[in-house]
Amino acid sequence: MLDEFPETLFTIEWHSPNYTPGNSDFDLPSEYSQRGAMYGVGGIPHTQWNGVTETVGGYPNGNWQPMYNSFMNIYNSMIGDETPYDIEINGFAGETEVGYDVTISMDADMSNSNQKVDIFVVEDDIWSYWGAVAMYHNANNVVRNWLTTEDLTISSTGENQTFSGTFDLSDAWVHDSVKIVAIVQNYSTKQIYQVTEVNINDMNPDIDDDGILNGDDNCVSVYNPGQEDEDGDLIGDVCDPCNNLVYILGNLNGDANMDGTPIIDLIDVLTLVDYLILGDVNECQEPVMNINGDNYVNVVDVILLAQMILSGNN
Amino acid sequence: MKKILILLTLSIPFAQKLDPIDIAMQELRTAVETASRSSQKVFVEDFTGLN
Repeated sequence: MLDEFPETLFTIEWHSPNYTPGNSDFDLPSEYSQRGAMYGVGGIPHTQWNGVTETVGGYPNGNWQPMYNSFMNIYNSMIGDETPYDIEINGFAGETEVGYDVTISMDADMSNSNQKVDIFVVEDDIWSYWGAVAMYHNANNVVRNWLTTEDLTISSTGENQTFSGTFDLSDAWVHDSVKIVAIVQNYSTKQIYQVTEVNINDMNPDIDDDGILNGDDNCVSVYNPGQEDEDGDLIGDVCDPCNNLVYILGNLNGDANMDGTPIIDLIDVLTLVDYLILGDVNECQEPVMNINGDNYVNVVDVILLAQMILSGNN
Repeated sequence: MKKILILLTLSIPFAQKLDPIDIAMQELRTAVETASRSSQKVFVEDFTGLN
């Protein structure tokens, strides 16, 4: 099935410490324990499909053929479902270290409650002796490192979030066979909403080709070799929807004089009232509407903003 | 006054024609957005061993 669906079916192997020869380095006991506990894995073989459908046992003596039809049915029941998430993995592979950027983007709204991003390092095609059936075989995508589990904070159409980091390449691995796998998973329901993998040699170290490597680029996907950042918020101007020199506390509509001085006036009070009544707010307004800094935007903030304007402290 | 009446006479039928165009555009927009939505891939975690 892996050969049939190379673009849409991804597998990783977690090797049980209880069934791994002493001279093998396949097992990651604590990671296996954590991942296995998540799914209630008792014995092996146990396969978990998109986190929610499992098959246990069923292929004696390593013979997977009888499982083909049932596996195909599970695959067909999941493939192509709409998901709000798209995952892109880029980075740079050095001799001993790899830098990665995993970017999750959304093309529909979905709550981020309990949504996590897991990033794994796997090694593919490890020619290894399978003692249970006394034969050699290619172990596929054996988990070598569970890099991180992060909270996904985005929830709306058009938003994206990037997770960056580095990891060391072990001398024991065939570096050309090392891949990074990233998934979006709900840690409450266990549902996996999207997955992507990439060989470390196929990653693009400079997505926008502006000469600034992704990890150092203040706007990864848009060409900006000058890295202009007028408001100094580490988000490049071409990627930054909010100029924080204009969107200061109280300036909800983001207007300014010709010289760039923010204007805080009655319109901002009305905008704040509109927010309280209608709930309409954009990402630039959110940080500048909590006038008294108590983390709750309410009528008190309206009064304080009006007082601020009337007293000329704007 | 005559000009206003003429304009009104012309604008009413054209306004009527805009509705189906708007609806068609909305349907097209929905179709394009749906077609471009990301598709779920399938991820299998295989808990296994070597002996």
